[in-house]
Amino acid sequence: MKFIKKQIPLLIVLVVGVLTLASYYVPHQSSVNFLEMMNKWENIVSAFAFFLGLISLFYTHYSKISRKVDGWGYSLFVFVGFFAMVIPAILCHGKMMDEAGKTALGWSFSFIYNPLSATMFAILAFYIVSTAYRSFRIKSAQALVLFVCAFILILGKVPLGQMIWDSVMGWTRTGISDVIEWIMSYPAVAGKRGIMIGIAIGAVVTSFKIIFGIERQYMGKD
Amino acid sequence: MIKNKIIGVLFLSFFTAGLVAAKPAPAAAKTATVPTVITGVIAADMPYDAGGAALLRWPVGPGENPETIYTVYASSVGNGGWIKAEEFTGQEKTGKTLELPFWAWDGSQTEHAVKIDLANMFGESVAGSVFYLKISAMNNGKLAAESADIAVTPIGNWFRLDRVNNLILLIVVIIVFFWAVSHAKRKGLFIRRIAGLDAIDEAIGRATEMGKPIYYMPGIGSMSSISTIASAFILGEVAKKVAQYDSTIKVPHYDPIVMTVCKEVVKQSFLEAGRPDSYRDDINFFVSQDQFSYAASVDGMISREKPAACFFMGYFMAESLLLAEVGATSGAIQIAGTDVEHQLPFFFTACDYTLMGEELYAAGAYLSKEPMLLSALKVQDFGKLIVMVSVFFGIILVSLAGWFHWDQVVRIILNLFKVY
Repeated sequence: MKFIKKQIPLLIVLVVGVLTLASYYVPHQSSVNFLEMMNKWENIVSAFAFFLGLISLFYTHYSKISRKVDGWGYSLFVFVGFFAMVIPAILCHGKMMDEAGKTALGWSFSFIYNPLSATMFAILAFYIVSTAYRSFRIKSAQALVLFVCAFILILGKVPLGQMIWDSVMGWTRTGISDVIEWIMSYPAVAGKRGIMIGIAIGAVVTSFKIIFGIERQYMGKD
Repeated sequence: MIKNKIIGVLFLSFFTAGLVAAKPAPAAAKTATVPTVITGVIAADMPYDAGGAALLRWPVGPGENPETIYTVYASSVGNGGWIKAEEFTGQEKTGKTLELPFWAWDGSQTEHAVKIDLANMFGESVAGSVFYLKISAMNNGKLAAESADIAVTPIGNWFRLDRVNNLILLIVVIIVFFWAVSHAKRKGLFIRRIAGLDAIDEAIGRATEMGKPIYYMPGIGSMSSISTIASAFILGEVAKKVAQYDSTIKVPHYDPIVMTVCKEVVKQSFLEAGRPDSYRDDINFFVSQDQFSYAASVDGMISREKPAACFFMGYFMAESLLLAEVGATSGAIQIAGTDVEHQLPFFFTACDYTLMGEELYAAGAYLSKEPMLLSALKVQDFGKLIVMVSVFFGIILVSLAGWFHWDQVVRIILNLFKVY
């Protein structure tokens, strides 16, 4: 039983991992076909897993409604929202448009889904302001550097800021756009590349841990 | 008298016109009408590819100038159906400009070398089929030279010789990896402290004292994303501690496959902690596969339930701030970790602790304290050492070579560190 539950999955991971790694160095069509096949398999598994997700979603919210837990009314909207999109999709055979214009599904997308989605995205602007306020509280030397850089960038993005810079720092004969360009091209890129190099190396090592079966927590330990 | 003069002028005019007409045409006009033949053309399979391209080479002509325009035509039948494949001026596309390293390609400035992407023009399955190529050269809008039709059969290659630098580095890293893993069995390794991971105990303890839940968000990445895999490892350790403290954890999911894997991970953690009775199947639950629907739903849960701690570990995009800011407003201890570098500033500002990129990958090993996993962290350090040494000596060598105009040395160094 342990062989089926542990050794075979590890063997599959090793073989598929090594083949995928090797395909980077093998340009032949068979290698390309192998990668395409893996992608198709991933899509098929995802499609089946989606049903699991749906069952989980319904189960969670149904139990909330049946147990009348706090905020159970919100769970009703899960079912309302689900059927509001699925029923028009079935009736319109999945088409967003027909000869007469928008179908019921197209209407639902345009006037329910898109506005709701855009509203969530728009909230981001307000959150950025409140986050910026919090991060601008200077508590350490690093926070001071962050504040100074962010302040210069904000200043340089508005005409009034450029006028203030020219009147106060004009004697330096350096425009604020030059300072911004320097900040974005040198310290910011250097920091970003440092993080990216670390991420790339970390990703390689994590992949090795999984391919060679050293990290196997994703399938339980025993 | 006047009549005689007019006749004389007319006669002279006709005579002069006749002489001009009888003069031979200039040399350029002659070549325009009778184009020369481009010789020395070699068509071969493009090396190190899947068999979808051909390589065309011919010597740079003595009369070439920046105004010379070369056009390469390709056909699948030979006697017609010519399609324009490439067009470039006489100074472009030489053996030196072909994107291949010095160990895989010996190109020179004295020849043209053009990669013809046949798969793009004739569909994907071109390997093994015969194609025909021809070249024409235009000077000042007139056909100056032309080549004969040349047949070529592209074939799929089995090895990317141009990526051999990458392969050597990979082999070195694998050797170091196995050395580090075997070394770890014998004695322990020093690992520096990571404040964000040390705070996990504090966060779970706080949740237990307050009697409030812990929210763990694994991000919106799929299971093939390394950050999501790393997140599943961390979830295992967090869930184990939650089970030990008898606290409550909720894991809302964006991806159903990630949810299925995380269910197994959490169940195993509760078993290992000796609390299988505390495990509930609804700890992990699916929310939505739409980014903002997911964010809206989780924001709502955090606002209503006011959790004691929020973990954001994995792959995040625009929802990072939407989630972290709501968590911060609700007063939760927040620990985040992602490898998406442009989302890191949002987590830095909205969370108490943030794991940057590689720290996220190291977190599972750090928390589990297993020697085999900890030893792998040393490989990361070794990789960084290679990068630092390469960057340091690379800068010095390239600067010196540039200073002394050693173009070949610069090319060798740049080729060695380039990804093909």
